[in-house]
Amino acid sequence: MSRIQLQGITRRFGPVTAVDDVWLDIADGEFLVLLGPSGCGKSTLLRLIAGLLPPTEGRLWLDDTDLTHVPPQQRDLAMVFQSYALYPHLSVARNIGFPLRARKWPRAEIRAKVAEVAATLGLTALLDRKPKELSGGQRQRVALGRALVRDPGAFLLDEPLSNLDAKLRTGTRAEIAELHRSLGTTMVYVTHDQVEAMTMATRIALLDEGRLAQLGTPSEVYDRPASVFAATFLGSPAMNILDATVRSADGSLAAHGKGIELSLGIDAVLPDRPVRLGVRPEHLTFAPAGGRGIHAVVTAVENLGSEEVVQCLAGEGRIAVRGPRPLGVSAGDAVTLTARPEHLHLFDSASGRRLTWQPESVPASV
Amino acid sequence: MTIDDAVGEPRVRRLGGHLVLGVLSLACVFPVYWLYATSVRAPGDVYSLSVLPWPLSTASYADAFAKNDVLGMLLNTGVVAVFSALGQLLVALLAAYAFVAWRFPLQRLLYLMFVGTWLVPFQATMLPNYVLLSRLGLLETLAGVIVPTLCSALGVLLLREHLAGFPKELLDAARMDGRSSWSTLWLVVVPALRPALAALGILLAITAWNEYFWPAMVLQRSNAVVQLGLRSFMGTEGNDWGPLMATAGLACLPVLVLYLVLQRHIVNAFVRSGLK
Repeated sequence: MSRIQLQGITRRFGPVTAVDDVWLDIADGEFLVLLGPSGCGKSTLLRLIAGLLPPTEGRLWLDDTDLTHVPPQQRDLAMVFQSYALYPHLSVARNIGFPLRARKWPRAEIRAKVAEVAATLGLTALLDRKPKELSGGQRQRVALGRALVRDPGAFLLDEPLSNLDAKLRTGTRAEIAELHRSLGTTMVYVTHDQVEAMTMATRIALLDEGRLAQLGTPSEVYDRPASVFAATFLGSPAMNILDATVRSADGSLAAHGKGIELSLGIDAVLPDRPVRLGVRPEHLTFAPAGGRGIHAVVTAVENLGSEEVVQCLAGEGRIAVRGPRPLGVSAGDAVTLTARPEHLHLFDSASGRRLTWQPESVPASV
Repeated sequence: MTIDDAVGEPRVRRLGGHLVLGVLSLACVFPVYWLYATSVRAPGDVYSLSVLPWPLSTASYADAFAKNDVLGMLLNTGVVAVFSALGQLLVALLAAYAFVAWRFPLQRLLYLMFVGTWLVPFQATMLPNYVLLSRLGLLETLAGVIVPTLCSALGVLLLREHLAGFPKELLDAARMDGRSSWSTLWLVVVPALRPALAALGILLAITAWNEYFWPAMVLQRSNAVVQLGLRSFMGTEGNDWGPLMATAGLACLPVLVLYLVLQRHIVNAFVRSGLK
């Protein structure tokens, strides 16, 4: 059981800053997902927590212990690697028991503990096999077993599902989430897969170019993205982002742009302000032709089975609409799209930060 | 073009290839065969040109054992080969591991300097090494033959290349699992590198076994190692071919046995080194 605190953790490689002043407080028993695109520094951050890399600046705490300069062997952390990193010359049993042998446990106790972990993970029949004789999913379980066997203070998982096929990934995802629920141990999980992040995390730390772009529960990050980056990273298809101007008309605010006129549902009079307007594909609906909304032309209709994604062209911007199949439009149709005001997101046109309405003031950056 | 044509053409080419390989292997094997054939001819038939040695005789072997301490020489040569190979392997393993697993200042420069020693010809280091051995009092000892060979740039180069392809995540995993750098080397790296270590060890042992000039300089005795012992059968009044061939045959035997048993590893060693 461990609380992990990162205080201004920075890591530079020569002129490149891979992790830039990250502050995180990971509560005991939390499942925190470090999410971001390739090269955003999420794996580097995990290696910094593990102690495999020293930070250039900042401090790292595990409960009340300053771990900043403690070698990985002495941190009470276990890690599951992307490639599983199983010792190829050792059997499954010896792979799982490896950390216990390093801690000089008696043989009988190692055997018992390995058997217990193997039973939990359904590996009992495979204990005498070598890693090369296992399937990807089985290797992944052995890697998990090697981490589990130590009863560590926290688990660090570096994209552990990325080498599995789609079906196995879904199953293992549920198993890891279940494991977290049953153990109640802190887990820090790195992934670039938003589905993994959304389904498993208690909180998501979204990283962009080494910086923490947003920290929050999956719902918070999805429903109230802090920036254009967060808005477009989560969601499939990504949130539609259009250039618009917030303008007062008849005492209320509306977003105007090329072929766009959407009410923001706010009664106020303000000077014009250029913004970036965001709306998720599933929040767009088709309105009667000629009404207020986004005027667009359908360019393609993608069939996803239970749903359809309609690709449209609105002015110079592309817009995706997602809804239950059939949506009843086809390529070439002129459509008017609308969305409820609470589903519209406004971002500052220069910084890309989210704008929120605070009554008795002008829209301000978060 | 029919299917038969497509298949037939490579078959002719394959046959031609086998013919060339057959002739070449005969050319390689024949001198070795002649060596053993001569060693089992009767003393009077040593100059005979008949391909089959008949009648068979062990007189040359008896003669060789009578004139020289052949077993002692083989033992000495074995000691030199085994310790030289093991020593070089150990040094190469530690150096290569340090160069790959650790980061330290001037790492690249040090590595280049280390490997650069490979380019210094033996003749340039021969005299300084000799003087050093003389000061250390190691002349005329087997240790004197072995010690200067212990640091092998070739071994470091080959093992470093192998280790560079070794998954770094395994080293990280061992650290996370509680192992020190030293125990990671012996528990994770060495078992995974076993084929490469075996191949390199065999290559180094064969090189040390066949060494002639350096043992001759250091030991200054004609019967210390087997390659020097052979010289004692060569005189100004002619060569004593029978015992010479018998001793040479015995000298080749361990290498041949090693080759037959570990053929795959030895071929690997030569392929991996890209040398010889």
